[in-house]
Amino acid sequence: MDTASPVVLNLSSALPEVVLFLSGLVLLVVGALREGEGAKGLSPFAVLVLLVVAAMILGGGQTAMVSLGGHFIFDGFAAFTKVVILVAAALSLLLARDYLIDEKVDRFEFPLLVLFAALGMCMMVSANSFIALYMGLELQSLAIYVLAAFQRDTLRSSEAGLKYFVLGSLASGMLLYGCSLVYGFTGTLRFDTLAAGFAIQGERGIDLQIGALVGLTFVAAGLAFKMAAVPFHMWTPDVYEGAPTPVTAFMASAPKVAAIALTLRVLMQPFGEWTDEWRQIVVFISVASMILGAFAAIGQTNFKRLMAYSGIGHVGYALIGLAAGTAGGIYGVLIYLVIYVAMTLGTFACIMMMRRGGRYVETIGDLSGLSTRQPMMALALAVFMFSLAGIPPLAGFFGKLYVFMAAVDAGLVPLAVIGVVTSVVGAYYYLRIVKVMYFDEPTEAFDGPNGLGLRLVAAGTAVFTVAFILLPGPFLNAAQNAAAALMTTP
Amino acid sequence: MLHVLLVFSPLIGAVVAGFFGRAIGDRGAQTVTCGLMALSALCAVIGLGYVGGPAMKVEIVRWIQVGSFEADWALRVDSLSCVMMFVVSFCSFLIHVYSVGYMSHDPSVPRFMSYLSLFTFAMLMLVTSDNLIQLFFGWEGVGVASYLLIGFWYTRPSACAAAMKAFIVNRVGDFGLMLGIAGVYLVFDTVQYDQIFAMIPQAAGGRIVVWGFPLDTLDVLGFLLFVGAMGKSAQIGLHTWLPDAMEGPTPVSALIHAATMVTAGVFLVARFSPLYEHAPTALAFVAFIGATTAIFAATIGLTQFDIKRVIAYSTCSQLGYMFFACGVGAYQAAIFHLFTHAFFKALLFLGAGSVIHAMSDEQDMRRMGGIWNKIPYTYVLMWIGTLALIGFPGFAGYFSKDAILEAAWASHNPFHLYAFWMGLLAAILTAFYSGRLIWLTFHGTPRADRETMHHVHESPWIMLAPLFVLAAGAILAGWLGTGMVEVAEEEGASFWHGAIYTGEGNHVLHDLHGVPFFVSFAPFVAMAIGLGLSYLFYMARPDLPGRVAGAVRPLYRFLYNKWYFDELYDFLFVRSAKWLGFGLWKAGDQGVIDRFGPDGLAASTQFATKRIVRLQSGYLYHYAFAMLIGVAGLVTWYMLTAP
Amino acid sequence: MNAVQLLLFYILALVCTASAVMVIASRNPVHSVLYLILAFFNAAGLFVLIGAEFLAMVLVVVYVGAVAVLFLFVVMMLDINFVEMREGFLQYLPVGALVGIILLVELMLVGGSWALADRTEVAAAPATVVMVEPAAPVAVPPEGGETAVVARRVRAEEVTNTQMLGAVLYTEYFYLFQAAGAILLVAIVGAITLTLRERPATKRQDIGRQVRRRPFESVELRKVKPRAGI
Repeated sequence: MDTASPVVLNLSSALPEVVLFLSGLVLLVVGALREGEGAKGLSPFAVLVLLVVAAMILGGGQTAMVSLGGHFIFDGFAAFTKVVILVAAALSLLLARDYLIDEKVDRFEFPLLVLFAALGMCMMVSANSFIALYMGLELQSLAIYVLAAFQRDTLRSSEAGLKYFVLGSLASGMLLYGCSLVYGFTGTLRFDTLAAGFAIQGERGIDLQIGALVGLTFVAAGLAFKMAAVPFHMWTPDVYEGAPTPVTAFMASAPKVAAIALTLRVLMQPFGEWTDEWRQIVVFISVASMILGAFAAIGQTNFKRLMAYSGIGHVGYALIGLAAGTAGGIYGVLIYLVIYVAMTLGTFACIMMMRRGGRYVETIGDLSGLSTRQPMMALALAVFMFSLAGIPPLAGFFGKLYVFMAAVDAGLVPLAVIGVVTSVVGAYYYLRIVKVMYFDEPTEAFDGPNGLGLRLVAAGTAVFTVAFILLPGPFLNAAQNAAAALMTTP
Repeated sequence: MLHVLLVFSPLIGAVVAGFFGRAIGDRGAQTVTCGLMALSALCAVIGLGYVGGPAMKVEIVRWIQVGSFEADWALRVDSLSCVMMFVVSFCSFLIHVYSVGYMSHDPSVPRFMSYLSLFTFAMLMLVTSDNLIQLFFGWEGVGVASYLLIGFWYTRPSACAAAMKAFIVNRVGDFGLMLGIAGVYLVFDTVQYDQIFAMIPQAAGGRIVVWGFPLDTLDVLGFLLFVGAMGKSAQIGLHTWLPDAMEGPTPVSALIHAATMVTAGVFLVARFSPLYEHAPTALAFVAFIGATTAIFAATIGLTQFDIKRVIAYSTCSQLGYMFFACGVGAYQAAIFHLFTHAFFKALLFLGAGSVIHAMSDEQDMRRMGGIWNKIPYTYVLMWIGTLALIGFPGFAGYFSKDAILEAAWASHNPFHLYAFWMGLLAAILTAFYSGRLIWLTFHGTPRADRETMHHVHESPWIMLAPLFVLAAGAILAGWLGTGMVEVAEEEGASFWHGAIYTGEGNHVLHDLHGVPFFVSFAPFVAMAIGLGLSYLFYMARPDLPGRVAGAVRPLYRFLYNKWYFDELYDFLFVRSAKWLGFGLWKAGDQGVIDRFGPDGLAASTQFATKRIVRLQSGYLYHYAFAMLIGVAGLVTWYMLTAP
Repeated sequence: MNAVQLLLFYILALVCTASAVMVIASRNPVHSVLYLILAFFNAAGLFVLIGAEFLAMVLVVVYVGAVAVLFLFVVMMLDINFVEMREGFLQYLPVGALVGIILLVELMLVGGSWALADRTEVAAAPATVVMVEPAAPVAVPPEGGETAVVARRVRAEEVTNTQMLGAVLYTEYFYLFQAAGAILLVAIVGAITLTLRERPATKRQDIGRQVRRRPFESVELRKVKPRAGI
């Protein structure tokens, strides 16, 4: 049988990835040739690349298209999440500049690795098969393992990198094992084929093979690790605390979006037929994350560690929307992610402004009486804290509102109730920070002035958080289109 | 546009003075608020030209739309609201100007000016409201502004207490108003005035069941709305806040507690004349309460010594007049009295303010006296105000009070004779305590200490100028406003042009011109008796008051203590509420809710936190183990539950 | 599968499993690595048995030849006190064993369900649905001059593994192949970032300088007078 089947290499839909990859290569060569100059010259270039690619996606069409041998899909959902990821990566790079210089780790590999991590994340959200999923995930993870250990001369950073690497490998192992089970029981790795096959199974009234279900569980475990959801969250506090702060900011924003987006795709597209089955995992993970995120953060004194638990809790809230399994739920998750990324990056920008005598400090006690010394910074941080706590009219409230609404619409009232209750518990530690800033005795002032990038990101995200209520239209529309794209299998 | 400018320029003034007061300074805040008020007053004067025209609706924006429920921001412009706008804007402007002088030594001038303008805006919103929701907005807005202004000197505990009292007593009335609004919506399925009024004839005679009693629908609604009016207009039972409200700065007393806010209740009843005309029982109740308040407040006024409290009780009494005028069906006369009263009562208050200013913040009349030649302008102006109040022929009060008493005589309301005689008696008392005020304050031997007497001085021109304008009003308003109580040959040509509705059988306005001679002559006699008696008591025979008070000691104490209303309320409501609250606090809240609610939750939260944090050991293999247990658990779950 | 193959399978599988157990059970880490190599060899044998000779070779060359040997070096060069590391072992053994056994049982059940499923009569009995990946898109009209690469689909019986992999690796799996390349690149960059240290004392070879060097720069001719010394 010598049939020739032409494979069309249609790169047009993967243009953002191609541009990112080639820019990364250019960056590598330029960086290597101009070694010693550090990231100063290359960071702006990388930021520019990320933003240009994001603009490219925004400007381009969003017709769904499967290409590159069927492993790559581009649709409205991928476009939306990619823009969020790329912007988050660009903002993280903006944040990093001063920190890298101050801590004497200003090397050109930093923007390079962020760029490759962003590439990996873009590949994740565009994955249309389990292999592509794994490739994107590994590219992203590997870059971030290195970033976490970027301050290689400090014990904390090295430890963080190593911990993340070892546990990440375990998670990858679980993911791969799950993929192999799914492949073994269904005979395909491609998402669209799986979706079509499962649809036929559903029509004929055949139950999901238990093997595929177990495989899915393992896959979900691997993905839950990447998004730092309970019980696969244990690495988060240690790694967030140990990693250099800009890396923590990056880890808390873009990869979380990518992991959640990927989970949305895997569960909604190939396994969309089996929503009732996987909902049990999602509900469990969501509830456990919300509860742990709310309760564990209360005892924290380190701000970065607190943000780790906060992030765990927020993943729990976002997953409420997924548990609903409806277009409204996906829409809620996407809105939530956008708002979460803005709030998180803003908070980390403020954390990076906490520098005293040239050293970065990161305990909550260091903030005491901030409002009298740096009122603008205190105001911005208060905005983020109120928003993270979900207090209207700030953006964080709307994020929660949409997912809770979706859950109630889908009949998951208990889930929404747990979400509300844990939000109340969570409000305690967010508001404690506000209290420390505004009502405690002032201590020594932080160093100033801060770099342009830091101020820009802090101010921009704060304005976004406050003004979201005024002009939510574009975001809501985009999220709605993205959710609709995910719901229709190409 | 004219009316929009009229209503909203005070709001702009309030915002500018309130938020940027520190930036623009005292002088700036005064200029901005007074300037914008002048604009508003000018618009109001021009707006008077609309009097006699048909009702007009100026839409601003759609406010609420939920199902069939609609409420707009819209201004209803007709004769009634034009008169009210004129009264409010014009008085407010004069009082703004007066305040510039009166509050010149206060450290927070911008705040004061801002509050005043805010109040004016809310009051204008109230009188121009097109629907009940907007009315309620204005109603509560003036309540808030009044609270802020009474408690303006918030460092004085008495001012804070008075502010709270005013607010809380008003809540009682507001509760009635809210029930009334809800009832109107229930019955008519709309809150728009024009739609309600159009449907009233059909609703007449309908029944509504309240706690098992079938009652007349319109009577119930009228009663509920009137409860709101009673609170705002300080009628007997809900009047206790008004005298205490005198803790606020004097311009506030003049603006809010004499000229404008307290008349909101009268306005409400007049605005709902279509409803009250079909609710005879409610109307009888209005007349009874009004007449009772008129005499009740006048009796208390006889015995008070605080100059502002005397005027405050006088206000209370005059409001009673207005209400029983409404009650006997002469809404026009009520609004007429409202119109004239605004001028002379504001004049009296501001004059009293001028006296207080002169006497170094002394308010007790027992420590005044003998200052008439030191502050001649104030003295003359106070006389003008007093003559207008007691209804001296030719002055404003003469016309409006006469009209009211004649209407009471001519009406067919069951309480009309009660209202007439009480009104007449109150007229005697009014003349008496007003004369007493003048004699005690200005004549006789100086009873203040030497230091104070040495400092007595005439107020600056910025304070006197508004007084002169008001005095002109107190003299002329009666002549200008007689059109309000004239009966037109045809409906379209009347002053009101349908803004005030009179029922088929209501000919009060016509009949009051044909009352017997003694009825129209009686008020003058009453005034003469009252004034003469006061001269006898306080000028000719200064020993008489003490002897009379001694002779009827129990009655005197009863009046002096304001009929023991405050004590009664304290006993009935305050103590029992405190007792109940204390019990609920200790046993209910702390014992049950806190113990099992916040405190218990907080304790268990901390406990849970400690346990969870202990899991975070830092050991890699613990973490890996947690992951494995997690995945094993999930798989086990599926193995056990899978089909 | 004939008897010889069956016998071979069981031997290889048994040795493979046993050596895998020994990897984690042996006290000496060097022994562990050696057992690992043994396990790799047996796995390679299993691959050969199912006709995947390319994978078998790759396993031997890459894992045994490179990875395991590297492990060996690392283990021998690092001075780790393994006794200390094992102290906590017994403490966690019961829980660990429990979790392990539960997982094992469950996976066996899953495997059992696979074996039980009747996979022959797909069309007749609706027990399962066989999912077939769609062939790579056939002759999609290239819009705007895209590169069209023609892949050659071949049958397994006709060609070797190597040939088949080669045929699809650069066509159907081009994307994944490139992605793997990117991952390796990041791995290299990461390794250099984390480990490369420039010590002032180390001498580095600068090939450019070596090539540019000319004889007259480095060699100086001197006339040395006899018996005079320098």
